[in-house]
Amino acid sequence: MLTKFETKSNRVKGLSFHPKRPWILASLHSGVIQLWDYRMGTLIDKFDEHDGPVRGVHFHYSQPLFVSGGDDYKIKVWNYKLHRCLFTLLGHLDYIRTVQFHHENPWIVSASDDQTIRVWNWQSRTCISVLTGHNHYVMCALFHPKEDLVVSASLDQTVRVWDISSLKRKNASPADDLLRLSQMNTDLFGGIDAVVKYVLEGHDRGVNWASFHPTLPLIVSGADDRQVKLWRMNDTKAWEVDTLRGHMNNVSCVMFHAKQDIIVSNSEDKSIRIWDATKRTGVQTFRREHDRFWILAAHPEMNLLAAGHDSGMIVFKLERERPAFVVSGDTLFYTKERFLCSYEFSTQRDTQILPFRRPGSLSLNQSPKTLSYSPTDNAFLLCSDVDGGSYELYCITKDSYGRGDLQDAKKGHGGSAVFVSRNRFAVLEKSNNQNETVKKSALPIATDAIFYAGTGNVLCRSEDRVVIFDLQQRIVLGELQTPFIKYVVWSNDMEHVALLSKHAIIIASKKLVHQCTLHETIRVKSGAWDDNGVFIYTTLNHIKYCLPNGDSGIIKTLDIPIYITKVSGNTIFCLDRDGKSRAIIIDATEYIFKLSLLKKRYDHVMNMIRNSQLCGQAVIAYLQQKGFPEVALHFVKDERIRFNLALESGNIQTAVASATAIDEKDHWYRLGVEALRQGNAGIVEYAYQRTKNFERLSFLYLVTGNLEKLSKMLKIAEVKNDVMGQFHNALYLGDVRERVKILENVSHLPLAYITASVHGLHDVAERLAAELGDDVPSLPEGKVPSLLMPPSPVMCGSDWPLLRVMRGMFDGAFDNAGRGVADEEEYEAADADWGEELDIVDVDGVQNGDVAAILEDGEVAEENDEEGGWEMEDLGLGPEEDTPRAANSASSVFVTPTPGMPVSQIWIQKSSLAADHAAAGNFETAMRLLNRQLGIRNFTPLRSMFIDLHSGSHSYLRAFSSAPVISLAIERGWTESASANVRGPPALPFKFSQLDEKLRAGYKLTTAGKFTEALRTFVNILHTIPLVVVESRREVDEVKELIIIVKEYVLGLQMELKRREIRDNPARQQELAAYFTHCNLQTPHLRLALQNAMTVCVKAKNLATAYNFARRLLETNPTVESQTKAARQVIAVAERSMTDTTELNYDFRNPFVICGATYVPIYRGQKDVSCPYCTSRFVPSQKGELCTVCDLAVVGEDASGLLCSPSQIR
Amino acid sequence: MAAPDHLFNLRNNFYLGAYQAAINSSDGSNLSPDDVVERDSLVHRCYIALGQLQFVISEIDQNAPTPLQAVKLLALYFSGASQKESAISSLKEWLADPAIGNNPTLRLIAGTIFLHEQDFNEALKYTNAGGTMELHALNVQIFIKMHRSDYAERQLRMMQQIDEDHTLTQLANAWLDLAVGGSKIQEAHLIFQDLSERYQSTSLLLNGKAVCCMHMGNFDEAETLLVEALNKASFS
Repeated sequence: MLTKFETKSNRVKGLSFHPKRPWILASLHSGVIQLWDYRMGTLIDKFDEHDGPVRGVHFHYSQPLFVSGGDDYKIKVWNYKLHRCLFTLLGHLDYIRTVQFHHENPWIVSASDDQTIRVWNWQSRTCISVLTGHNHYVMCALFHPKEDLVVSASLDQTVRVWDISSLKRKNASPADDLLRLSQMNTDLFGGIDAVVKYVLEGHDRGVNWASFHPTLPLIVSGADDRQVKLWRMNDTKAWEVDTLRGHMNNVSCVMFHAKQDIIVSNSEDKSIRIWDATKRTGVQTFRREHDRFWILAAHPEMNLLAAGHDSGMIVFKLERERPAFVVSGDTLFYTKERFLCSYEFSTQRDTQILPFRRPGSLSLNQSPKTLSYSPTDNAFLLCSDVDGGSYELYCITKDSYGRGDLQDAKKGHGGSAVFVSRNRFAVLEKSNNQNETVKKSALPIATDAIFYAGTGNVLCRSEDRVVIFDLQQRIVLGELQTPFIKYVVWSNDMEHVALLSKHAIIIASKKLVHQCTLHETIRVKSGAWDDNGVFIYTTLNHIKYCLPNGDSGIIKTLDIPIYITKVSGNTIFCLDRDGKSRAIIIDATEYIFKLSLLKKRYDHVMNMIRNSQLCGQAVIAYLQQKGFPEVALHFVKDERIRFNLALESGNIQTAVASATAIDEKDHWYRLGVEALRQGNAGIVEYAYQRTKNFERLSFLYLVTGNLEKLSKMLKIAEVKNDVMGQFHNALYLGDVRERVKILENVSHLPLAYITASVHGLHDVAERLAAELGDDVPSLPEGKVPSLLMPPSPVMCGSDWPLLRVMRGMFDGAFDNAGRGVADEEEYEAADADWGEELDIVDVDGVQNGDVAAILEDGEVAEENDEEGGWEMEDLGLGPEEDTPRAANSASSVFVTPTPGMPVSQIWIQKSSLAADHAAAGNFETAMRLLNRQLGIRNFTPLRSMFIDLHSGSHSYLRAFSSAPVISLAIERGWTESASANVRGPPALPFKFSQLDEKLRAGYKLTTAGKFTEALRTFVNILHTIPLVVVESRREVDEVKELIIIVKEYVLGLQMELKRREIRDNPARQQELAAYFTHCNLQTPHLRLALQNAMTVCVKAKNLATAYNFARRLLETNPTVESQTKAARQVIAVAERSMTDTTELNYDFRNPFVICGATYVPIYRGQKDVSCPYCTSRFVPSQKGELCTVCDLAVVGEDASGLLCSPSQIR
Repeated sequence: MAAPDHLFNLRNNFYLGAYQAAINSSDGSNLSPDDVVERDSLVHRCYIALGQLQFVISEIDQNAPTPLQAVKLLALYFSGASQKESAISSLKEWLADPAIGNNPTLRLIAGTIFLHEQDFNEALKYTNAGGTMELHALNVQIFIKMHRSDYAERQLRMMQQIDEDHTLTQLANAWLDLAVGGSKIQEAHLIFQDLSERYQSTSLLLNGKAVCCMHMGNFDEAETLLVEALNKASFS
C-alpha cells in the first residue's frame, strides 16, 4: 500500500472521489462534509448543514454537484462551486446509509434504515420510486455502472438485485399528470416500477455492503458474519460463487478493483484486505493499530483508493505505477506488466524482449523498481522489493530477442543493484551473485540505495545526503546534503546530475557541487536533460524546465502523470502509467530563449526575437528582472512601458521617441532627469523646453555656459512678463543694467538704486536718486563691491563625453549587432588561441622526443623482423636453440617455459600459398613456392610487395611502459564468433577487388592513349596476381581470366610502344600495328588499334591490308562517326587498287599468336614455348629466358600452376 | 575502508600512457617516505617514456634509493649503444647483490631491459616471482612475446585475484585478448573503450583500439583512431 494522503478527523463514514479533479469528499460522523485536495494535501471546503452523522456522500460525474445523506433523514444536494446546499430531499423515515448519483439519468439512489431504497430525480427534486422488500435496515444501495440494476444489502441478511428498467421507460415519457399519478401510486403501494430480480441469501448475519463488478455479472458482498461473498448472475438467476474468509470482525465495505483482478474489502477488525478475485485467496492485508474501517471508495479513472476509519481517512494506491525504465543511446528499455520491452526513439518501434515473471503470479508491488542495463553485454538488472529487496540478472543474446521463453535469471538479495561498468555491477549489502566476482567495500555513509554515477562509481543515498563513491579507489568523490532523493538523472555528457526528491530538484555537477535547488509544491515525477543542458521534468500535472541557474517555468500542463525518458529537441519522449511510450511535442522557445540569455548567446536571442512569437508580460517581466531591460524593450509596443524600459536601460534615444509619442509632462520630466544624469544636455534642453520649465532651462543654460540662449530666456521672461524669471536670468548673465531696469520697472526703486550705485552705474543711480528724493537708502561703508559672475563652465554647450558608448547589440539595427557579436567572439577566440598556442609550444618540445622514440622503437622492431624473414635459416633454428637454454635454467626453481610458436610460423605450416608465406615473413619459402607453381625466377619486382604483405599483416601493440612493443599477427576473415587461440590465415593488403579497379584504371589510360602509364598499371596487375589470395574456386577462375586479359594488353601495349620508337622502318611499323589488332582487347580499344593500323597502312600505301583493317573496323559497328567515315573512305580508295606496296610478315587469314619477345607471328602449327605464369607464347629460341611480358617467370619452365586460393588445396 | 591511495592518479596515468598528466598529478602532500620514493621513480619513468633520458640521468644522484637507481639504469640503457653494455653489466651486478637484488623496481627494470635484449629466460628469472602488479603485467607481456599465451593467462589470473579492477589487470587482459585473437578481440576493444571512458583517452589506448579494429578488419576506423592518437601524441 502506498499512502498518498492521510487526514485526521472524526470518524469518516462516507467517501467520494471527484472524477476529474484531485478532490475527495469525506463525510464525518460529526456531521461535517470535508472537501480535500489530496494532491496538494489541503482542505478546500467544509459543508456543515447536516444534523448528526453523514453516512453517504457522492460526487456527480459532470455537474459541480454532490449529494449527501445523513442521520437527520435528509438527502442534500450541494453545489460545491457555490459552496452551498441547493435543496434537500425529504422522504426517508430513518437514517440514510448511502446516496449515489446515476451515471446518466438525473437520479439519486438512497438506502435507509427505514427498510426502503428510494430513487430520486434531482432535477424535478422528487422521489420517483420507493423500493420496498427488505425487512431490516438497508445498509447500501448502488446503481449498476451500465445496466438498469440496483444492488442493495440489508441487515435482513440478504442482498437484493432490483430491476429498474421500467423506471427508465416511464421516465423517458414526457412528465405530465400521468407521471404524477403513477408516482403517487408508487408512494402508496410500493414500487411497481422497480422489481426485485434476485434475492441473494447466504450470509448468516446482516449484510453491510454489496457492489457490482464494473464489467462482469458479478456481485461482491460483505457482512457481519465476517465473510465476503462472491455472487454471479445471469439473465434468469443468481447464485453464490465463493466465500472469502479472513476478516476477524464485521466486514464494512467491499468492492471490485476497476483495473486489476482483485477484491478490496475493509472491516471493523482494523484491516483492509486484498483478495485475488480469480483464485479467491487473500493477497495482502494492511492493518491499523486502533482504527476500525468503515468505508472504501475507488477513483473512477485512476488507480486510487480511499478508506475511511475511526480517526480520518487515507488515500492510497495498491501498486507503484511507475514503470522501471532505463535509456541507453537510442533505445529505451522498460518493464510492462511481466515483460521487459524496448522502444527505439528514432523509429518509435516497440519490442518485447523477454518475460521476467511467470504469468499469473499475482502479488502486489513486486514489479521491478529499477532497471539497469549494460549495453555491451546486453544484460539487465531488475531490482524489486520481492523478499525484502532482491535483484535479477538477465543476459540476452541478440537473436533471442522477443522470444517468449522465460529465462532463468540469476537472482540475489540486495537493496539495489546497478551496473558500474561493462561487466560489473554493484549490489547494496547482502550476498552476491553466484557467477560474478564481487568485492565488498564498506560505504562511507549509512546508505539505503545506490545509483549509477559513471563507470566505476556509485552514488549512495542516505536520509539526508548523497555521496559519489569511487569503488576502485575507495574514496568519496563528492558529497551533498539533500532531502531524501528518489531518482537520479544524469545529463548526456555525465557532467551534471539532477537529484529528484519528493518535492525538490537539486542540480549538481558530476562531483556533486551544488548548482541550484528547485522546490515544487506537488510531487516531482521524472526528468531528463535536453541537449542544451536544460533539465526538463514533470510533476504530477506539469512539464516544466529548469535552467542551469535555477530558473524554472511551466512548459505544458498534463492530464495524466507521465515519466520522461528522453528529451530530443522539441520532442519529449515519455512513458505513461500503462507503460506506453509517447512522444510529446513541446514549444521549447521560451526556455531556449532564456538559456541563450543566460549564456549570453545574444545572437541566438536576437534570432529568436526576430523569428519567433515571443511576447507577453511574462517574458518582459523576466527580462526586466534578470537585468535585460534593453532586450525587453524590443518586445513592447506600448509606449509607456517602452519609455520606462528605455529609461531603465538608459536608452535615451528610444526614450525620447516614446516621450514624444506620449507627450506628457511627467514623462518629459523623467526623461529630463535621466538625460541630465547621462549629461546629455541636448535632450535635457529639449525635455525642459517641452515642459516649458523655464527656470530649469535657464539654469541648464547657465551651467552649460550657453549665454546666448540665456539672454533669449531673458527676453522670453520679459515677454511673459515674468519678473522673477527676468531677474534670475539677468543675474545669471551678470547684466547689471538689466537688473536695475527690471527692479525699476517693478517699482523697487531703492533696490534699483542700490544695485546701480554698487555696481558703479552712477548715471542711473543719480537718476534714481532724484526720483527717490529723500528716501535714498544708505550704502554700507567700507565694503568693496564686486559683480558676482557665474563661473564659466569647463564644458560648454555640448553633451558630456561618455567613457563607454552604451551602444549594446540590441540598440539600433539588429543585423549590425549580429556582426558585432561575431567580431567580439572572434576577438575572444584570438585571445584564447594565444594562451593555447603557448601551451602547445611547450608540450611539443616534450612530446616530440617521445614520438621519435616510438618511431625508432617501431622501426627497430620491424627491421629485426624483416631480417628474420629474409634469412630463413635463423628463424628456423630459433626454437631449437632455445630448448637447451630452457634446460640450463632448470637449476633454478622457476623453469622458463619454452617459447611458443609464433603465429607466422603457424601460417607457414598451414598454407602453401605464397602470399601467406610472404606475410609470415618467410620470404624464402614464398619464393620457392612461386618458383614451383609459376616458374617465377625474377623476384625483384615482387620485393616491395613481399614487404608490404609482411608488414601489413602485423600490428604493433604498445603495452607496458618502456617495454618493447608486442607484434601481433592480423588474421583475415575475422568474425565475432571466431574462437580464440585458433589461428586464421594472415590478413593481406592485396585484394582481388583492388586488381579489378586497377584494370579499369588501365583501360582508361589506354583509351586516353597514355600507353606508358597503362603498361605500368597492367604490369603491376600481373605482378600482384601471384600474391593475391581469393576464397572460392569461381574467383580463382576469375583471377586466371584476369591474367589472360592483362597479358594481352601488356603485349599489345609493348608492341605499340615499340612501334612508336622505330620511325625508319615503315614495314615493321605496319607489322607491329597489325599485330596489335590481334591482341584480345576491349572493343573500343580494338577499334582504336584497327584505326591506327589502317592509318599506318594507308600512309605506307598498303591499301589491301588497310582495306582489311577498315572492313574489320566496320564490323565492330563503331559508335564514333569519324571512325566509320574514315573506314568507308579507306574502303573506297582501296577498292580502286587492291595492292600492297610493301611486303609484310602478316597474313590475317592464317590464325597466329605473337611472340612476346620478338613480336613476330607464330602461325598455327609452328613450334612455340610459353610462359608458365602469364601464358604468353614465344618462339622456341626464347626458352629459358625471362618472360618479357610478365617479367617474372622463365619461359618454358615446368610449373604446377597458379595457386591462389585455399579452396584449390582442399 | 582502505586508506586512500594518494598515488592512484599518478600510477594510473602512467599505466595509461598519459605521462605528462602523470607528471602533473605527482604533487601530493602527506606522503609517506615509501610513497615519495615510489612517486619519484614513477615520475622518472614517465620522463623516460617521454624520451627525456638526460634529465633523468642528471636528476638521480648517487645517494638516491635503489628504485631510483634502477630507473636511472633504464635511462642509461636507452641512451645509446655505448651505455647499453655498462648498464647491463651494472644491472647484473646489482641483481646479484642480495641486499638490493630483490627490490621490485630493480627486478622490473631488469625484466624490461632483458626483454629488450630478447633474453626471455633472463628476464623471467627476475620477474616470474611477481610481487607487484607491474611485475605481473610485465610477465604477461613477456609470455605474450614468447607466444605462450597459456602462461600469460595464468599470470593474468593471478592479477585478477589480486585486483580485478586494477588498470594494469584490465590492460594485461586486453593484451592477452589481442594475442589469442578470435572473439577475444572484441573484449580487448571493450576494455580499451572502458578505460578511455573511465579515465581519459590516451594515445596508448587509442593505439590499442586501432589494433583491435585492424584485427577485426575495420581498417578505416583504425586509421581514424591512429590519426587521433598521432594528434594526441603531438599535442597533449
